Amino acid sequence: ARMKRARARKQPCTIKELEVRVSELGLGYVSDETVLFRYCSGTCEAAVRNYDLSLQSIRGKKKIKREKVRAKPCCRPLAYDDDISFLDTKNHYHTIKEVSAKDCGCV
Amino acid sequence: MKMLLTNHFPYSLLFLAQTSLTLSGSASASWPHTDCIQANEQCISDQICSSRLRTLRQCLAGRDRDVLLSSQECKTALEVLQESALYMCRCRRGMKKELQCLQVYWGIHAGLTDGDEFYESSPYEPVTSRLSDVFRLASINSGTEAANSKQNACLDAAKFCNVNDVCKKSRSTFISVCNTGDDALCARRKCHRSLRTFIERMPSNLTFPLLFCPCADKPCAERRRQTIVPSCSFNRPEVPNCLEVWATCRQDPMCRSRLADFITNCQSSSQSASGCVRDNYVACLGAYAGMIGYDVALNFLDSDPQSLAIGPWCSCSGSGDQESKCELYLKEFTQNRCLRNAIYAYGNGTDIVHKQSVPRPLFTTISPRTEKRHVLPDNQSDSNTLYEVNPDICDTIQGKKNDSSPHIRICVSESQLNADLTPDLRIDEKRSGIPRHRASMLSTLVALCLTTLF
Repeated sequence: ARMKRARARKQPCTIKELEVRVSELGLGYVSDETVLFRYCSGTCEAAVRNYDLSLQSIRGKKKIKREKVRAKPCCRPLAYDDDISFLDTKNHYHTIKEVSAKDCGCV
Repeated sequence: MKMLLTNHFPYSLLFLAQTSLTLSGSASASWPHTDCIQANEQCISDQICSSRLRTLRQCLAGRDRDVLLSSQECKTALEVLQESALYMCRCRRGMKKELQCLQVYWGIHAGLTDGDEFYESSPYEPVTSRLSDVFRLASINSGTEAANSKQNACLDAAKFCNVNDVCKKSRSTFISVCNTGDDALCARRKCHRSLRTFIERMPSNLTFPLLFCPCADKPCAERRRQTIVPSCSFNRPEVPNCLEVWATCRQDPMCRSRLADFITNCQSSSQSASGCVRDNYVACLGAYAGMIGYDVALNFLDSDPQSLAIGPWCSCSGSGDQESKCELYLKEFTQNRCLRNAIYAYGNGTDIVHKQSVPRPLFTTISPRTEKRHVLPDNQSDSNTLYEVNPDICDTIQGKKNDSSPHIRICVSESQLNADLTPDLRIDEKRSGIPRHRASMLSTLVALCLTTLF
């Protein structure tokens, strides 16, 4: 099982989808409607550039101190899916933007 | 019985049976009809046809239309055109250049409707699919999730749309356009347009579940009522007069067509097992959906899951001396047996079962217009009404063509009329075409009549 998990984590950055209730999005909307939530998942090892290596090295030499820097590419949405509209439990319609990923990439 | 059929077959009925058989044959052979755009082009390239068409347009455009139409020139033009493909042409819903097609159709038909303008026949090709087709598509599309929770079918319908990218996008579009927060400020026209796009572009296996989901409780029924965002697309600050709403609709070829399509495909019959003259639930549900995004649209009027109160957003108050007429028309929407049955059937997943039962006394040919005939003057020619029968008595009918032909008694028993699955039999309008099974049942009828006779 551990091997499996490890291998799964090594999967390159890709888009995945899940059916979730609107309430589960945690955005404060109360609705039982189910929507398709697409998210980005996977590693970005192949996307490491000289930038990342250099940054790591320079940070290691304590040349960059009290700053937050990220020396690894990150699997993030490159574009968001269309708006999602739904009816809440009080029979009001809502439309939410940029909830779901459309395209993923290492940035 | 065979002997009787061949030897003593009454000519009038033989004629009748043959006519209907021919009709059904030619009707099914010629579908799909030429669309009106094609037919118009054909006519224009033909010299005789195009000149007659021009003449007829002038006849119809004049202010004294009736006077003009009775002139010899107009009569000849009409006679020629009635023989052409143009007169029989139809349009397909959602077709390319639908508006242009409908304009051609109404250009000829608008002025020529005999009798009541409200009961115009549909310019669209008849729908041949059945509920089972819609369900089959639905199960392919939604895979294993089809029968997930029976609790709130409307919630399931929303889910099926949400997990389909195209449906979700189109639904979100009309919801965001129609739901501006402040209902008084909603952009009704834009809302209507995006609703129509949704209904027209999405297959019925995605739209029907949202529109006609069966409900057992209030939250479900309220969700169903909310499907079209009624606060913007349906309700208006004032309640207009229905006659005015319908008259305005008739100014627009698209709206007029959708209204006529509903009137045609959801026409109720107290005789038919389905409750519909046309016996096709998908056609009725599709016609209901086709009116969405127009001012004549219907919607659920409350969130009572049992009542199934449906109607347009208008009333008959302010109709003046037309009030009784208005009420009568309004009932075609609010008390429509065909539509109700279609929605129930959709919820149950049961289509009409065409059961050809063991021969027993049966009832017969009621013209599709009979019900209205009692109340409204209808000076249509008798070509589509071969005879009328008072359904609960044995009636004597005399051959129309030949006075010397024998009298035929057609009997109807009352129990038959109440039986739920009584086969429905009628001579339909020429245009609608008669399904084969009806034609075959007609011969059964003839046989039975003969048994009662001899």
